[in-house]
Amino acid sequence: MIYGVKRVLAYLMGADVAGRALAVYPDDTFIVSYPRSGNTWTRFLVANLLHPNEPVSFDTIERLVPDAEAQSSKYLKRIPRPRVIKSHEYFDHRYKKVIYVVRDPRDVALSYYNFSRKYRYIDDAYPLESFVGDFVHGRLSSADWGTWGENVGSWISTRLGRENFLLLRYEDLIANPEAEIAKMANFFGIKTDAMHIRNTVERSSAHRMRELEKAQGKDWISTKDKRPDIPFIGSAASGRWKLELSANSVAEIEAAWGTLMKTLGYELSARRIAGDEEFRGVQPAVSAGQH
Amino acid sequence: MIKKIRAGIRLVAGKWPPGPELEVYPDDTFLIAYSKSGNTWTRFLLANLLNPDKQVTFLNIPELVPHFDVMSKRFFRDARRPRIINCHEAFRPHYKRVIYVVRDPRDVVVSLFHFQRKRRIIADDDSLDRFVTRFVAGEALKPSRLGSWGDNVASWLLMRDKDPGFLLLRYEDLLAGTETELARVAKFLNIEATPERISNAVVASSAHRMRTLEKIQGNQWHQSKDTRQDIPFVRAAKAGGWETALSDESVREIEGAWSGIMKILGYPLRFENLPERLPLRDAEKLLR
Repeated sequence: MIYGVKRVLAYLMGADVAGRALAVYPDDTFIVSYPRSGNTWTRFLVANLLHPNEPVSFDTIERLVPDAEAQSSKYLKRIPRPRVIKSHEYFDHRYKKVIYVVRDPRDVALSYYNFSRKYRYIDDAYPLESFVGDFVHGRLSSADWGTWGENVGSWISTRLGRENFLLLRYEDLIANPEAEIAKMANFFGIKTDAMHIRNTVERSSAHRMRELEKAQGKDWISTKDKRPDIPFIGSAASGRWKLELSANSVAEIEAAWGTLMKTLGYELSARRIAGDEEFRGVQPAVSAGQH
Repeated sequence: MIKKIRAGIRLVAGKWPPGPELEVYPDDTFLIAYSKSGNTWTRFLLANLLNPDKQVTFLNIPELVPHFDVMSKRFFRDARRPRIINCHEAFRPHYKRVIYVVRDPRDVVVSLFHFQRKRRIIADDDSLDRFVTRFVAGEALKPSRLGSWGDNVASWLLMRDKDPGFLLLRYEDLLAGTETELARVAKFLNIEATPERISNAVVASSAHRMRTLEKIQGNQWHQSKDTRQDIPFVRAAKAGGWETALSDESVREIEGAWSGIMKILGYPLRFENLPERLPLRDAEKLLR
């Protein structure tokens, strides 16, 4: 009951976190990803790309590319249009223009583990292997956004190959940020030159973002009151899972999402994935047309 | 503001329909269909299957197979488990047990056209061709959380096909072999149903009976009471009406948008060589 009253008050004041209830405008662009997949980096890249004359930092990012899962409905209503909004939602058909950032789930699991310690969802003694199990089976705090496979799969199966959907791989962003930024610029329909792109990369570098986090982390909505000894900006690298995940954990992730991973170009290490030869979607529906 | 306060009071009192914010239990089963895809018929079939001793009508169907935009939060909280919940949502990861009813989108649009006339959302002289364009863009139902037909169907089918908690029913199969399909539903719900119980449920949910009930109750049922009574809610209950109702242009528009998913579902296309738009097959190509 108390919870109900609180919610009603928040709703009346528009102070409730927008989340899936966000009022979407037709000219919105969304930066969507599963958590720990390069979303914040992409927000910085997009902000620097679109606002070359503004200082982009954790102090300004919530204005330039606000977070639908941290900010209130009221706050988001005041952002000047056209808005660019960050989100972790699984497929939402109302999002008409979407940049989807995907990252190798084995690296996501690892990054998410550190993040969950930072947020005090788990303590340091919690085994990484148990965490990977939670990650695969949808037992994380992010269950509302689906599992990695559900989040990625729901967007890919409905939007890939369609207009107004840009899929970026975190690994490509790391390997060749200039080329990926050129794709983004094209997606936003803005003209760029080499200088502008280089500035965008430099102003959003992991080094610079770490410096900013040190100075502003205690105030930023996504890091304040969280453990300061674990950084929000993680390794900013790809392939760390090879060193840090156990063979069991790798096998568990690959067994769950092997075909989707292959489709996205993530090579599997396990030789054979039992029971998931094809990603579900590609096979004809079993029951249809057989009667 | 007054409206918001009133909504707020109803929200606190649990009188507001929960919609997608419904708290989900692991043993819930969701009956999901896009608009005009045999949803009401399947609700009748389910209600009759589950309640062989009850007379299922338009007046008790809202409680027997409740829709989460219609019945209150309190109703769902107090409902006996395992619950069966009706909605029209596109993919939601929290719904672990789903019966999904799909129908040929070319028939869906024809049915929806009549339905929107019945609801006075479009006029009698509005053109079906223009309506099809809005349908393909996902704008024929407004405001709506459903998405386009393709969004709704593809999101469920591609995510959950082969999942033991997902049962796909084609409206066309339901028409051609109602008993067989209902037996699959019974099995999915772990109900031991004799052939007699199944065929009784089928008879009690026939189009003929539903039309008769609509004549008596259509002006009381919440879905149809404020709509035009000269256009029936229960319509042809047939498959393939689109072949004569839709123009070639409209057919090409629908098939062009969703040929990939239609082929997967076994709906033969009128036009060949349309661009294949089932995206996953192209994923690797697109990434490189």
